[in-house]
Amino acid sequence: MQLENLGLYYWAIAPEIIVSVVGVIIMMVDAFSSRGARKLNAVIALAGLIAALVSVVMLDGLGSGSYFSGMVVIDPIRIFFSVTILLAAIVAALLASQFLKDEGLPPGEFFSLLMFATAGMLLLAGAGDLVTVFLGLEIASITSYVMAGYRRYDLRSNESSLKYFLLGSFSTAFLLYGMALTYGAAGSTNIQKITAAIASGQVNYPALLLIGAALMIVGFGFKIASAPFHLWTPDVYEGAPTIVTGFMGTGPKVAVFAAFIRVFVIGFGPQDSEIGIQLHTTWVTVLAVIAALTMTIGNVIAISQKNIKRMLAYSSIAHAGYALVGFLTGDFAPVAFYMLAYSIMSLGAFAVIQLLARAGDQRTEIADYAGIGFEAPALSFSLAIFLLSLAGIPPTAGFMSKFYVFKTAWDMTPELRWLVLVAVINSIISVYYYLYPIVVMFFRPLVPGFIKPRIAGMTMIALILTLLGTFYLGIMPNRLMNAMSRPPAVVTQITVK
Amino acid sequence: MKEYLPILIVFIFVAGFAVTNVILAYLIGQHKNTRAKLMPYECGMDPVGTARQRFSVKFYLVAMLFILFDIEAIFLVPWAVVFKDLIYKLSKPFVFIEMMIFIAVLFIGYIYSWRKGLFEWNRA
Repeated sequence: MQLENLGLYYWAIAPEIIVSVVGVIIMMVDAFSSRGARKLNAVIALAGLIAALVSVVMLDGLGSGSYFSGMVVIDPIRIFFSVTILLAAIVAALLASQFLKDEGLPPGEFFSLLMFATAGMLLLAGAGDLVTVFLGLEIASITSYVMAGYRRYDLRSNESSLKYFLLGSFSTAFLLYGMALTYGAAGSTNIQKITAAIASGQVNYPALLLIGAALMIVGFGFKIASAPFHLWTPDVYEGAPTIVTGFMGTGPKVAVFAAFIRVFVIGFGPQDSEIGIQLHTTWVTVLAVIAALTMTIGNVIAISQKNIKRMLAYSSIAHAGYALVGFLTGDFAPVAFYMLAYSIMSLGAFAVIQLLARAGDQRTEIADYAGIGFEAPALSFSLAIFLLSLAGIPPTAGFMSKFYVFKTAWDMTPELRWLVLVAVINSIISVYYYLYPIVVMFFRPLVPGFIKPRIAGMTMIALILTLLGTFYLGIMPNRLMNAMSRPPAVVTQITVK
Repeated sequence: MKEYLPILIVFIFVAGFAVTNVILAYLIGQHKNTRAKLMPYECGMDPVGTARQRFSVKFYLVAMLFILFDIEAIFLVPWAVVFKDLIYKLSKPFVFIEMMIFIAVLFIGYIYSWRKGLFEWNRA
């Protein structure tokens, strides 16, 4: 064993290191400063996230490869998903400043938790080994559990945190057991070595591998909130502070999709051996059914929701279903594009909801939005644009991302065209409940007790960024799509650089 | 299975050691039983009674800190044992600095909990 053979190359984990160190710095600033350091913490957090974003872009220049004995990989999947995660974290950090001030919550812990959660998600997006997948997932999940209960004197927030913690731990156990069985079958936790073992047919017990894959689908399926593992979503999303809901609904989901793609689409991809074919056809069938269920359940139940946060929770379930359609094409680009577009519009919508809800999330019923359209036009029009984008109306990001996913699925997987039809029908269903709050906002008499919310500078920047992103991806998606579709998308072998 | 024999011997030795000590204490020790002494040990709490009783959250904070530094010690000992081997196989600064980073991270956590008043028990 020599040092050179370990593939230690710290630049390969530069984004993770930057974000973690900044998290620690914020902890120290918080410990040694008086309570007024909210703005300082926010600025440090934003500087760290932007530095991490730059380092991710620089990673792209290194080319594909795997480092740290195959624990971490650099490939286009990691680059694109990391950028999405960091953008979500930046928007969340921008929004958090006003939220923490209005609610009188301690700022230091929030920003450091946000940093550590982001570090976990980045690690998850770059994981080349089942062990790093688990590690990243745990870092991201445990910090999310705490953030969900951040409004700690609020019972709903506590309920949300506890439910998320119990169900999240339970699902992680499924994932871990699945990993253990896969290791038993393939003889390695490294995803590339697992693929090699499957391709050569050298699998100890084929049944073990299938059960392992099934358990991992349960674990990943929970984290991305796909049916039938979606039941935690509405309660957790409703109770958590709205900023946290926005971040939880995007960041971890994006990161888990990255790991899900790397383990299933690439690791368990179509191979020549008997077990490879069996495994691939099995999980594709299972996930096709899950995708159809997820979309339908999410959209149909969203129709009957009276609370806008619950409605968006079901909408987020439905969007996981659409992204799964892209997943089944065997290409990462549609999912990456979809998750980026979804993150931007979802965070934007939650930002407006946070502002309108006021401290303590008092006004989150759709009835509370009655008639506010022309009272607070900037917020109402922004929310309307985000909702239309979530519904998939051109010229927004939502339309383009759906179009990209459905088109790719239709062209590349003829046997799954039924699924595309289900998805299109579902998008039509979803238009109803996305339009409903817009109708309530603009065409109903003004609800009593409405106070026009104050918009702080950082919140304004976040809103403008998400609005611009929504239109940019909707009108000029070419650049990003071309960048994503350049070959090769896959790390082929473990190379030490 | 033969290679597992030492583990079996350790098991027997450990169990025997514990049992012997309990028996010896029972046979030659003095017995002054009070109610508190005869209660099942439950970390200083009354083991029977309502489960809804409130107690200080510091209990958990101290327990968490204990586990943290406990784990630090557990990592430090094997590192110290193989240190000489490792510095020949790998490089000296690498083996040393990696561990120092680990200790630094834990130390920062210690400073943080200190500054946050975790050790001031009279404060609410």
